[in-house]
Amino acid sequence: MRKYLLRRALFGLSTLLGVSLIVFVVLRILPGDPLVAMFGIEGFAKLAPADRAHIMEDLGLSDPLPLQYVRWMRDIASGSLGRSFFRGDKVSELILHRGPISAEIGLMSVLISWLIGLPIGIVSAFRPNSLSDNVARTMSVLFLAIPGFWLGMLIVLAALFWFNYKAPLVVVQLWQDPWTNLQLVIGPALVLGLGQGAYIARMSRSCLLEVIREDYVRTARAKGLQEALVVMRHALPNALLPVVTLSGILMGFVLGGSVAVEQAFGVPGLGRSLVVAVIERDTIVVQNLVLLYSVIFVFVNVAVDLSYAWLDPRIHYR
Amino acid sequence: MRAAARRGAGAPPVARELAAFTRRNPLAAAGGLVGFLIVVMALTAPLIAPSDPLKADFRRMAKPPDAHSFFGTDQVGRDTLSRVIYGSRSSLVVAFASVLLGTTVGSLWGVASGYLGGRFDLVSQRITEVLQSFPDLILAMAISMAIGTGMPAVIIAIAVTRIPFGNRVIRSVALTVRELSYVEAARAAGSSEPRVMFHHVLPQCVAPYLVLATAHLGVAIIIEAALGFLGVGIPPPTPTWGNMLADSLTSLVPRWWLVFFPGLAITVTVLAFNLFGDGVRDTLDPRLAPAFLRMLTGGRRA
Repeated sequence: MRKYLLRRALFGLSTLLGVSLIVFVVLRILPGDPLVAMFGIEGFAKLAPADRAHIMEDLGLSDPLPLQYVRWMRDIASGSLGRSFFRGDKVSELILHRGPISAEIGLMSVLISWLIGLPIGIVSAFRPNSLSDNVARTMSVLFLAIPGFWLGMLIVLAALFWFNYKAPLVVVQLWQDPWTNLQLVIGPALVLGLGQGAYIARMSRSCLLEVIREDYVRTARAKGLQEALVVMRHALPNALLPVVTLSGILMGFVLGGSVAVEQAFGVPGLGRSLVVAVIERDTIVVQNLVLLYSVIFVFVNVAVDLSYAWLDPRIHYR
Repeated sequence: MRAAARRGAGAPPVARELAAFTRRNPLAAAGGLVGFLIVVMALTAPLIAPSDPLKADFRRMAKPPDAHSFFGTDQVGRDTLSRVIYGSRSSLVVAFASVLLGTTVGSLWGVASGYLGGRFDLVSQRITEVLQSFPDLILAMAISMAIGTGMPAVIIAIAVTRIPFGNRVIRSVALTVRELSYVEAARAAGSSEPRVMFHHVLPQCVAPYLVLATAHLGVAIIIEAALGFLGVGIPPPTPTWGNMLADSLTSLVPRWWLVFFPGLAITVTVLAFNLFGDGVRDTLDPRLAPAFLRMLTGGRRA
């Protein structure tokens, strides 16, 4: 087990090394001059070549690429992650300031997706083709097609029209003011949770339908167990494994989707910072945030893989 | 069954196939029809749009839907209905082009790595793993930031996010086909490796390729809209559904029609393509069902 853990961790680390290389290469080698973005095309034309060189020097962009990469890795190792081109802030401070809100949104959305998706999947699987099954399936097909950020915008509009309610839009951490913080994160979490919930419902339905045909479920029924016990104790645990995997893969949907959904709600989370940095061509911020999102994605999926041994005693790692 | 066969007997084969498809998958056929109508709408946009999507009209700014403009007008008086109709053009072009590009590149890569195996396969799998470690939208954002705005940039950005799916699914097909006896026979008969790969293995990958391509159209449309919404897609004033949603955020007074209609267009289009894609999958490869989930989990233990 320990050996497997080590191997899996090394594998994840090497993947992330590849990720950092791709991010770096994409943002440096491909065209797109940060100075043009900083000063505009006209401002850029007015700059004397010496000034251009000087500013590039200041930003550390005129060094050879391998040196820049090594410097980035050093900044990561030191924990500061480098500085934003525009505001000179440390990226690590930006992440500490805005990250918690996005993390809350992500965690809460996963929770919501399970709370909504699993019961719907169970009901659907045990009454296939009933009215509730059909309603649930239609809803899940529909929610796969609705873009989360649009749903978010509609919710904001509806709250404003009908209740004249506007969510607070400043950074308020959970430990500062839980109630305001909740109002900030509940909208995005709900939208992302519904989107994932649609997948979870479909997956748990189809997995349960496979499991309840098994002999041991029939045995459980034959010995006179209540239907609820058959589901909760016998069928569900075996059907859950693929659903857990799916939830890990959906993390990509959450991380990417949260960027657009935060924008729709106007929540000042990490996603908003990423969007602003992309538009401002703040390369240092973008490379760190993209790497951070990928680190989380990879980490969650490694954790999902490892949780198998705990969820399914039949699996042994060597 | 026999009555149906008789009814379709005189019809040309394509019509008969379509009729059979509709009988088996009414929902998918409806999705296909709606998708087809949206394509027609995009092609004939200049004919059916009530007015010029770029023409500002300062006498009619931010008007709610009325008899004159069914979907209302935006902050500078442009007709929302016309903009939604024209918006379908960029959405569809980007979706078709990026899915075609991404799935084709991924599939060819997948055939090669599945068939050739060895070190090439090992390296390919590692690269795929790395590409799949980015959340789709974030990778697309980074790429379109790097290569600049505009339609080609958006197409390439979305295509890159589709490559790993094509690669993984088609690789697994190629791995199976490689072991079949007719491929062995071809090799024994002295066919060269490229010939076996292109003439004997590749044709077996066409059906999964089509399934993959149709399954990803909807996702591509959503990513395109999200990029436009975040201001890193096709630059304004080109009307795209994402841009229109982004525009609606700039007005201080929220106007529901500027939010509702573009988003509705996205949802209807994605829904149509998703339903059609499910039908195509059931028809071409029933083993794959429920494939959209297996595709998501593609290659992982599940």
